[in-house]
Amino acid sequence: MAEVRFSKVTKKFNENVILNGVDAEIRDHEFVVIVGPSGCGKTTLLRMLAGLEEITSGEIYIDNVLVNNMHPSKRQIAMVFQDYALYPHMTVAENMSFALRLRKAPKAEIDQRVTEAANILQLTKLLGRMPKQLSGGQRQRVAIGRAIVRKPKVFLFDEPLSNLDAKLREEMRVEIAKLYQRLNATIIYVTHDQVEAMTLAGRIVVMNRGIIQQVGSPIEVYRKPANLFVAGFIGSPTMNFISGRLSMADGKAVFQSEDLSIGVPGFVLHESEAVDGREVVLGVRPDDVLVGGKASEHCSEKLQAVLEVSELLGHRENLYLKIGQTRLVAMVEAFFNQAPGSAVPFCLNYTNMHFFDKITEKRIG
Amino acid sequence: MDILYSIYEVLWFALIVLTGIALIEGYFYYHFKFYDRRWFFPVALIGFPLAAVAFCRALGLAADPFRPLLWFLGSEALITLFFRHIVKGRNQLAYLLLAPAFIGLALLLVYPFIFEIYLSFHDLKLTTIMQWKNTGVLPFVGLRQYVNVFTTSPLSEVTFWALLGRTLWWTFINVFFHVTGGFALALLLNNSIRFKGFYRTLLVIPWAMPQVVAVLAMRGEFHSQYGFINIMLVKLAAAYPILASLGIGPVQWLSNYPLATCTLINIWLGIPFMMVVILGGLQSISSSYYDAADIDGASYLQKLRYITIPLIKPVLMPAVTLGTVWTFNNINVIYLVTGQSGGTEQADILVSALYKAAFTYNRYSYSAAFAIVIFAILFFISVFYLKSFDAAKEER
Repeated sequence: MAEVRFSKVTKKFNENVILNGVDAEIRDHEFVVIVGPSGCGKTTLLRMLAGLEEITSGEIYIDNVLVNNMHPSKRQIAMVFQDYALYPHMTVAENMSFALRLRKAPKAEIDQRVTEAANILQLTKLLGRMPKQLSGGQRQRVAIGRAIVRKPKVFLFDEPLSNLDAKLREEMRVEIAKLYQRLNATIIYVTHDQVEAMTLAGRIVVMNRGIIQQVGSPIEVYRKPANLFVAGFIGSPTMNFISGRLSMADGKAVFQSEDLSIGVPGFVLHESEAVDGREVVLGVRPDDVLVGGKASEHCSEKLQAVLEVSELLGHRENLYLKIGQTRLVAMVEAFFNQAPGSAVPFCLNYTNMHFFDKITEKRIG
Repeated sequence: MDILYSIYEVLWFALIVLTGIALIEGYFYYHFKFYDRRWFFPVALIGFPLAAVAFCRALGLAADPFRPLLWFLGSEALITLFFRHIVKGRNQLAYLLLAPAFIGLALLLVYPFIFEIYLSFHDLKLTTIMQWKNTGVLPFVGLRQYVNVFTTSPLSEVTFWALLGRTLWWTFINVFFHVTGGFALALLLNNSIRFKGFYRTLLVIPWAMPQVVAVLAMRGEFHSQYGFINIMLVKLAAAYPILASLGIGPVQWLSNYPLATCTLINIWLGIPFMMVVILGGLQSISSSYYDAADIDGASYLQKLRYITIPLIKPVLMPAVTLGTVWTFNNINVIYLVTGQSGGTEQADILVSALYKAAFTYNRYSYSAAFAIVIFAILFFISVFYLKSFDAAKEER
């Protein structure tokens, strides 16, 4: 197993900057998920680590060895591709043993490793099949098996679940989590799906526009998003954002937007950040819009909204609220028995309230 | 005014063809649409045979209308029963759209083929052709023409077996170099090189040119005195005496090595087709296979062997089958290079010998039997190829 280090890694296609100075470190035995919207450069970063893409500038180290100019097969990595890339004219066993056969490994060793991987992934009965005779989930397992057989230092997963349907994706997600517990390997996993990122990762790397936005454990990224992008990208339904400005009254900070005004206690926004007249964005997750609750120490003053639409999800319900021209989504326990158009009192949970500077988009409290 | 008359003739011909198609379509439409009506049988059995006989008489055929009428009645009875109990109006549109092409093909292929079989069991040659014209009867000879095909020479001296061997050799050499040459060029063009479109166009030109033009131009280049190739050989031998001492010098291509010349020209002509087909196959291979192979540690040659070649097989096999049939049947190159006035027999393959037997020596029935033998050979080659292609497809 191994650690991976990216140092000021840059990638340009002609004049298009895909990656702009990426610095990151992945520790031994760590499961790191790189997440971001499509086109943010996450797959390019992974392919550069695998050696399938040239590095414009910067350095990539695997186990403190510079691999910039090393052939992919020498980097001791294994990659699982989005479209699986199983060789269609080879059986499952041949697919899994291809790398070892190219290396002219002894036959006994090849057999032993293939059997071992097949056992882990429950592929034993499928070893003689052709890829086209397998279902999507089975192909995915073969692709993972092909990686396991090679006993690499680092496993790379490139959006491995995005070609599966929703139900199968959930199953495979659990399978991958189990596999990680069993192999305890260094895994770098690229996805655009924040649910996969939250559930699988030991640490999440959030990327946008070729820049790392935040690195942290899932709960850090969720509870303390470093900027507006991370706050909006992680979490479903999306965080509510309200633009406004801060004003100081009697030494206490007050957030004021066109439609609402909320006192901001010192434990939410540090005094040094609370500058009179500062343009800010208030972020609050739908879970933290407390409907009908009484104002308390942890909740803001009571506010009034009008219910526009409510969506029943089963055990939860999404409420689309309107305060003047401002719209908010609240998530409450089912069943919320009020008709659209009725008045709904709510308050915002101070404990999970986020403030971002409007210009730098960085977190300030 | 001549041009106007020609246009008028063409339009008239088009009108006849369109009317023919309309009649055929109407005939089938009736059978598809009204198969379950009560009046379906009576109308069809009275109407269509009478109309057909009337049409034949209008053309001056069927002087005695009774026998043709029975024929038409019988076949119409079978057709109506078929439509009533088997077709039952299903897939109406598909068959109506297929009908004109199918009938055109039947007229162009099936009728001549049947006539060819008829000829091959009779004896039509210069001495019997007037008898045939006057009486419409040809002497029946059974299998004698087929025996002749294998025992006598279609030309003046070379035997069938020598021709067959030469043809197989010619086909193998040509297809082999078409595939290897086309594959090599396609691999080069599949890289991201500059001016790719330009190179591709240049390389396809020999194939896009009319074969007559291309072959005659190349034939000129093989001229012993003024051809490019001999000029180059002379200059090379003069510049590097060592080459001359190895015996390299001008060659009498057309008179001493006619088959080799034809082969070189045909290889040059056939490479572009294979290149285009293989290039299409290469471009359809997902690049992630190569990525996976890179990570698995495959070298360039290993990727070629384990990924490229197995994955282009499905496009390559039909192309090779077609190429084999075309090369086996390729009379153009051989006839244009060697066949004209007093040409040599050294370069003849089966089909060019067939052409000469039929139209230079006027042995029509013999040629018909000869053609059927060639057809059988090609048929078996194609079936063999397609079977092996299916087997390859089963594998994946």
